[in-house]
Amino acid sequence: MGIFDKLGKNDDEKPKADFSNVQSGSSSTAPEAAAPSVPDLGPTGTSAPAAPDDTYVVVSGDSLSKIAKRQYGDMDQWRRIYEANRDQIKDPDLIHPGQKLKIPRA
Amino acid sequence: MHQLNRISLALLLMLVSAACRGDKPADMTANTSTVVRVTDVTLGRAIGGDKAVTDKTDDFKPNDTIYASVATEGTAASASLRARWTHGDGQVVDESTRTIAPGGRTMTEFHIAKPDGWPLGNYQLEIFLDGRSAETKKFEVKGS
Repeated sequence: MGIFDKLGKNDDEKPKADFSNVQSGSSSTAPEAAAPSVPDLGPTGTSAPAAPDDTYVVVSGDSLSKIAKRQYGDMDQWRRIYEANRDQIKDPDLIHPGQKLKIPRA
Repeated sequence: MHQLNRISLALLLMLVSAACRGDKPADMTANTSTVVRVTDVTLGRAIGGDKAVTDKTDDFKPNDTIYASVATEGTAASASLRARWTHGDGQVVDESTRTIAPGGRTMTEFHIAKPDGWPLGNYQLEIFLDGRSAETKKFEVKGS
């Protein structure tokens, strides 16, 4: 490998790493805060299934990236959800359990 | 003299009573909650039962589980802690949120693992408290 080969390589050219199989978790010495009651949770009580108009009900522990990973298989797609819900999300880092988000499919 | 003491006591009670009725009825609940803030974030390879990191480091190996202990102080019915782990120029590795009801000093741990090993390079952990960035930690994954 010549010096030019080395010089030509930089971080921008590297393919993105695959983090799709990352496992994560959390725990705390503090109790979990009670989530506000949500009248129309799905039968499992964990999230609303994708309705015809693609609605998702936020549960505790969700973030836009996590929802994007679940819905699109790619957490970097979080901005699509953010843009579709600008009317109710002011800060993409702050969503609340019980919030109903539109999940764009187009 | 006794009469004077009684009058003084009555006046004092009236003053105290007026002050209590005064301006801030909402403060009745303020006593139970204080401002919650992140006081420390520590990275390491293991945690103890108290959720504090026991093997502190910012240099990890590809097969390590990476732990972050977040210390908070303050009391609230609800506080949202969020850990955003990124790699290199900002590629999101993982995001986790934990909504806690902190009562005084609390420790909350976040951890990430990758069964096939972490790519080598620089990483960053950003901790958000109620949506606001509270602290950032950088770390590196190096080859063995």
